[in-house]
Amino acid sequence: MAGTLFALAVNILLLAPTIGTPQGAAPAGGQKVNADARVMADFEARVKAYSDLHRKLEATLPNLPKETTPTQISEHQVALAQLIAHARSGAQFGDIFTKETRALFRRYLARVFVGPEGAKLKAVIMDENPGKLQLHVNARYPESVPVSTVPTQVLQTLPKLPEDLEYRFIGDRLVLHDIHADTIVDVIENAFPK
Amino acid sequence: MRRTVAIGIAGLLAAFLSLPKASGTIAASAPAPQAAAQPAGESPVDLPNREGSLKFGVLGDFGTGKRPQYDMGAQMAKAHERFPFELVITVGDNLYGSQGPRDFQTKFEEPYKALLSAGVKFYASLGNHDEREVQRNYKLFNMDGKLYYSFKAPKQNVRFFALDSTYPDPAERAWLEKELDGSNEGWKIPYFHHPLYSSGERHGSTPTLSTVWEPLFVKYGVSVVFSGHDHFYERTKPQKDIVYFVTGSGGQLRKGNIDRGTGLTSKGFDTDQAFLMAEIDRDELFFNAISRTGAVVDSGVIRRRKQE
Repeated sequence: MAGTLFALAVNILLLAPTIGTPQGAAPAGGQKVNADARVMADFEARVKAYSDLHRKLEATLPNLPKETTPTQISEHQVALAQLIAHARSGAQFGDIFTKETRALFRRYLARVFVGPEGAKLKAVIMDENPGKLQLHVNARYPESVPVSTVPTQVLQTLPKLPEDLEYRFIGDRLVLHDIHADTIVDVIENAFPK
Repeated sequence: MRRTVAIGIAGLLAAFLSLPKASGTIAASAPAPQAAAQPAGESPVDLPNREGSLKFGVLGDFGTGKRPQYDMGAQMAKAHERFPFELVITVGDNLYGSQGPRDFQTKFEEPYKALLSAGVKFYASLGNHDEREVQRNYKLFNMDGKLYYSFKAPKQNVRFFALDSTYPDPAERAWLEKELDGSNEGWKIPYFHHPLYSSGERHGSTPTLSTVWEPLFVKYGVSVVFSGHDHFYERTKPQKDIVYFVTGSGGQLRKGNIDRGTGLTSKGFDTDQAFLMAEIDRDELFFNAISRTGAVVDSGVIRRRKQE
């Protein structure tokens, strides 16, 4: 399925070279736009494939009742995380944030974090940031630690995610977080510019 | 546009809330945006406790499961006996540390058992320590699975806007503008975790958030905003005619953390835990900040400003 989606994305890309260019990320030069758009389309296709899998697996679980207890929510999360881990047993870091995506995201983020305004953004992100923690694909998001704030200015720059995924920072790593399963999907190391 | 602010200087050992009491107990007033300080030694501004008014509490940074939180829960229950607030809005960090099923009992249900039994409803917003997926679906937080939402208060002309300040994506801002624009209520009250304005040495103001949300608050006639994150109580001087409250010491406390040099503070209290009780009657919002010992540490009344 991921291959089909990728082919579709590439076709769309050929018709509309700027697809996927995030708001606020100014393109620079036609050839570069095409290259960036291709990387972005690839990223979006990979995210969609993950999200489709997530939803398909979640649909096999009983719906949470309206009057949900913390126990039920917790059990639902664990069950979903196990299903996803099983279905993606060979998953590795870099499956979604490919080498090209990592380079592109770092470039976009470098524009956001430039100058005094960028320093403020970084300070907000690093405020009670969980810091250096061991992260593993499909593993539970670190428990009992605060989540980083992800400022609007950063979210405007990165591609929009489906509602079951979000970006977070852990230390200087940008993390793709599965909200419903509360698991780590992928990571970009050294996301802040040096 | 005018706002009237009356400030009560609390006698730290004063018993609070000599209720019921006649309305119109404003001790002093002045045109906006200056706050008129009440002469030292005078009684705090009482909550009028009027029939038909909206009475609510504001609580933040509380879910530790430790003694101070339980003390605060007891103090809130005591206050509720005399001032029957019907709802509590929470400004995040509702639970700290582990957030398994047992934690919801020890860090929420038990400390506020008396209030929950009395039918007080809690409407949560989430902070950076909150486990989002569990909390937004937890029925006693009344979030209906949403990370940001609004609701009309059961009385008076009031709408609350619970916002997610840890992940303020463009979609949330678009939603907020639509909600504020579509709201017919005279009082539009946003609440969320990270303060736009705070004198906290540890955290302080959040300028990246101000850039995004403050223009909407100004445009759509917001008069008061409640936040937490910094572990103390602070009421700011009006910023662009809006009064910002930091109510982040509902269980946590960072003693002596208010930086008195910011010029923001109208009243601060950072030597013990505190929560806020408020009452809205037509165009006036009365407030009392109550410490863990039951002292009124700040009080006053804010007149609603009109939408521009």
